[in-house]
Amino acid sequence: MEQPPSAFRLSRVEVQLGGNSVLRDIDLSIAAGERIALVGPSGAGKTTLLRVFTGVIGPRQGTVEVQGIPIHQLKPKALRKLRSRIGFVHQDHSLIPNLRVAQNVVAGRLGQRSLVPALRSMLWPNREELEEAHRLLERVGIADKLFQRTDSLSGGQQQRVALARALFQRPQSLLADEPVASVDPARSRSLIQLMVALAEEENWTLVVSLHDMELARDFFPRVIGLRKAHVFYDGSPQELDSTHIKELYQLEEEPHASST
Amino acid sequence: MRWHPTRRARILLGFVLAAGVAYWGLGLNLSGLLPKTGGLHLAGDFFSAAWHPAFGYESTGFVPAEAPSFLLKVLHGLWQTLEFAIAAISLAFAFGLVLGILAADCFWAERGSGWQVFRWLLRIVLAAMRSVHELLWALILLAAMGVNPATAVLAILIPYTGTLAKVFSEMLDEGDTRPADALKYLGATPLRVFLFARLPRSFPDITAYAFYRFECAVRSSAVLGFFGFPTVGLYLKQSFENLHYREVWSYLYGLILVVILLEFWSSLIRRRFVA
Repeated sequence: MEQPPSAFRLSRVEVQLGGNSVLRDIDLSIAAGERIALVGPSGAGKTTLLRVFTGVIGPRQGTVEVQGIPIHQLKPKALRKLRSRIGFVHQDHSLIPNLRVAQNVVAGRLGQRSLVPALRSMLWPNREELEEAHRLLERVGIADKLFQRTDSLSGGQQQRVALARALFQRPQSLLADEPVASVDPARSRSLIQLMVALAEEENWTLVVSLHDMELARDFFPRVIGLRKAHVFYDGSPQELDSTHIKELYQLEEEPHASST
Repeated sequence: MRWHPTRRARILLGFVLAAGVAYWGLGLNLSGLLPKTGGLHLAGDFFSAAWHPAFGYESTGFVPAEAPSFLLKVLHGLWQTLEFAIAAISLAFAFGLVLGILAADCFWAERGSGWQVFRWLLRIVLAAMRSVHELLWALILLAAMGVNPATAVLAILIPYTGTLAKVFSEMLDEGDTRPADALKYLGATPLRVFLFARLPRSFPDITAYAFYRFECAVRSSAVLGFFGFPTVGLYLKQSFENLHYREVWSYLYGLILVVILLEFWSSLIRRRFVA
């Protein structure tokens, strides 16, 4: 039997931003339905890697395949269609602050509808859309916020709205770039737990970049560690011992850093 | 040790020099501020009238019998002032919003360079519209169209559209880009990103600024009365020429009251948008 295509597959990928190599020689294959934590120090290339998955950043060398499709060949329209199947939760401030929560949730399908129906559902969401948005907000635990102005919510609640927007999008995978960096520790744990539970229910491929090693260990069967633009570790969190972690977060030597 | 002027110090020095050159060029002299005895009397009369503004005509000699009461005339003048301002600002808002969107960089995201040329030409036209003050536009238009309500409305409309469009386009371009990026990530076209993130995100700022410009339009409308348009400025000028200072103050107080009421109203609306 033929293997189903990987959700994401990178071979020999190199990415340069502003003349610097941000990712070098990356070989990765992520199967559909996998749950992965992406760890590593700031500036290691975690955000760039997630952006490469969506085609927002193109590689200088190597190939990126999403669902078996090499994305560098795609025209803008096909690339947008591909993106509409990938949910993305950003670090913060990704919602339109002065709109209602319901409007932000309904925006999840903006990449899948033509302009006039999309405008209509943002300005006058109909009963079905509102009921769906309400159901999704229930699943992320903030059903009572449906008609609130989005910027009146706390940071953690706004991340739950972002998750509801991703649910409304009905994606095949969910990428999250430091989704709990602006959320307090107690709430960030329950947010990651919710994200993983939703990924299981929806059968999403989930890739979450995290700072908190403990969260990565507790919720993800596979951990990818990035360091200085390279994949430094790729495996189960059990084998990731303390010497690995120490090395992963070891700071670059001063003279080396200042020479760039 | 040598003195190295920092950038900031150089800029400050530049301003001081420019101010010095301007004072010298104008031949400004503090003794010019001391009024002559006649002038002192005049100023005294004028400012003492501030304490008792008129509630009726100061002299009935020139007033025809069928003329409305003075207070009605004040109200009428203020209402006309508002009418000109409303007519001008409502059109300026509509044109300014459309042109502001077209002049915004983010509206043309991912479009060809031909559109960038169009955008720059539009920005030049907008700059030309607002670089001529509404009083100068009134002078030019008066020569062509005569004293006619449309002349005054157009004189306010042209520079206000230019200013509103410029400021709106900057508000659209400069706001937080993160909500817009998020929509791009979920597959929205650039036009949709603009309509669903940039535009709603800037709307409170756009509304607040439009209200402020409405206030300015009321003042412009009042001043246009000096050219003969029937706003409060016309009546004020006539009273001033007749040396009816107490009537002048009645008009001024009325105008101040209108601006305060507008400010009160706009702050109520702003609070609804920002809260």
